[in-house]
Amino acid sequence: MRKFNTLIKKELKELLTLQMLIPMIVGVMFFVFIGNVMGNESKKINAPQTILVLDNDNSVSSRSVIGELTENNFKTTTFTDSKINIVTNLAKEKNISTVISIPKGFEANLAKLKPQKIETYSIINNFSLMSTKNSAVISEILKSVNDFVSNSIISKELPGVKPENIKNPIVKSDHVIIGNNTANVSADQISGFILSQSIFIPIVMFIIIMFSAQMIAVSVASEKENKTLETLLSTPVNRTSLVSAKMIAAGLVSLLMAAVYMFGFKYYIGGITGVSGSQPTLASSAINQLGLALDTKGYILLGLSLFFSILVALALATILGAFAEDVKKVQGLILPITFLIMIPYILTMFLDINSTSTLIKIIVYLIPFSHPFLASPNLLLHNYSAVIYGIIYQAVVFGILVIIAGRIFSTDRILTMKLSFKKKSLFSR
Amino acid sequence: MDEALKIIDLEKSYGNLHALKGISFDVKPNEVFALIGPNGAGKTTTLRIIATILKPSSGSARIYGFDANKEAEKVRKIISYLPEEAGAYKNLKGIDYLNFMASLFAPDKKSHDEYIEIAREVSGLGVRLSDKVSTYSKGMTRKLLLARAIMTKPKLAILDEPTSGLDVINALEIRRTIKEFASRGMAVLVSSHNMLEIEFLSDRVAIIDNGKIHAVGTPSELKKTYNAANLEEVFVEVVK
Repeated sequence: MRKFNTLIKKELKELLTLQMLIPMIVGVMFFVFIGNVMGNESKKINAPQTILVLDNDNSVSSRSVIGELTENNFKTTTFTDSKINIVTNLAKEKNISTVISIPKGFEANLAKLKPQKIETYSIINNFSLMSTKNSAVISEILKSVNDFVSNSIISKELPGVKPENIKNPIVKSDHVIIGNNTANVSADQISGFILSQSIFIPIVMFIIIMFSAQMIAVSVASEKENKTLETLLSTPVNRTSLVSAKMIAAGLVSLLMAAVYMFGFKYYIGGITGVSGSQPTLASSAINQLGLALDTKGYILLGLSLFFSILVALALATILGAFAEDVKKVQGLILPITFLIMIPYILTMFLDINSTSTLIKIIVYLIPFSHPFLASPNLLLHNYSAVIYGIIYQAVVFGILVIIAGRIFSTDRILTMKLSFKKKSLFSR
Repeated sequence: MDEALKIIDLEKSYGNLHALKGISFDVKPNEVFALIGPNGAGKTTTLRIIATILKPSSGSARIYGFDANKEAEKVRKIISYLPEEAGAYKNLKGIDYLNFMASLFAPDKKSHDEYIEIAREVSGLGVRLSDKVSTYSKGMTRKLLLARAIMTKPKLAILDEPTSGLDVINALEIRRTIKEFASRGMAVLVSSHNMLEIEFLSDRVAIIDNGKIHAVGTPSELKKTYNAANLEEVFVEVVK
């Protein structure tokens, strides 16, 4: 055990270098930075929007419309004796994105039940996601104005009748059922919320599995290249200890990376969801009603699934690293692992695996790295057995790979085996 | 027990390539035995089999009576192997590397401390042991590795090209160290291309070529047999 601890300490010292830590810290700082920027932008957008109003009618009705806008969280600046191009130029100068113009005769024509045209101007300086918020702002403005005007007309023409009952005699009430739980919310809101909450899980998993695989493959290949492996193999140390110390050290470093990246992603996603989350409070309460939040059991199973994925990647990378004669060849050798991770990553991002053909389903389930990607939605839907079977399968694959890796290190294959990509000469006998 | 090392009909094949075609020799305790031969002759394969990291296709290598293949665990406790152009872990400090290797051999703290003391003396690296191996010159790395190889007082040290790529002064220091430790009772099996080194170091020499041993004897016996002025002429005569 003392020798084993010594081996782990040595591996950790070799892995936790500044060259490894600096890119990781920079990566996380990048996510934190982007998250903060997005969060700040999101706050700006959700803050009351300033709009300029050109009121050509300057009547009770037009002023009521402007008052309605103020009540609906818009800051208004009104011009009554001006021209539209002057107002839009002013909006450009002041970096205000929306201008509306109320036509002359607005009140008089409404009294005659003639439809009125309120002109809106969106000033677009770029095509970012943020700038498209303008169209939503204008829709809200028009909705407010229409509501106000139609309510006034209905109240005037049909006193004693609630305008809402005339305008919306049929009201839609959305419900979502998951398992035995029901919540008064639309499916769109739920799926949007779940996506925003779980989108980082596959990304973090992808990064960690790739890093850990690369780490151990490079470690094995560099030991071969520097002949430190030959020295180690001639010492009185159990060969299985050599392999498992490498795997455990790389696994520990991967878990550290997972924690650090999760921290970065928390900030990043915090910023993103602030932008895209419509009615987040409603969705959050519905999420709780539906039991869609991961409970302790869910987190443990997700953690186990991810942990076994890392172990499988480490065992596979150890075997592939043993084929490399030097560190340069590692990149090419771990390419199969990259593909094995990319397939479930991409498929689960766009497809519901359960609704695909049997062949695709079998392929996806056979790839041990698919299971953490599938675990997250399964756990939210309380489909625990699928996740547990996945973990058992991963454990079996890991066991087989460890036996193979142990055999390679216990024989002289570790020094003699290599992949030959040389083409056979046409003239060779 | 007379032999530190006894090699009998050792063969090794890599697929269709017969690297060793039945070689036999022995090394006595206190003896420095050299294996010389051209590139690809089978020297490193022989050393790796004795160091228990390759398995022979047939024949046997016995170290103080233990079979390198069947009793590898016991053999590893009494040997030390220095591969050709080996490196150390670049992210470790010199002293950390020695501590790491010492803890793989030492049965207790006392032995561990003793090994480190020997290594400090042999390496001659002084305060530079506190620096990372990545900052060492080739000569310093080789001295560190040689110190590591002999600090555990192995009964048999297997040294593959111990002075390869080193300047004259560093090479001379390393040869002196090997000679000194051999005089204290350590058997040494060394492989080298440097005939001058072999003549200086070795009690006996085996010339290997194409997987076979062609001649064994003391440097003076070989020179006499082949009527040569030095080992280089013997070598050329044997392998031509």
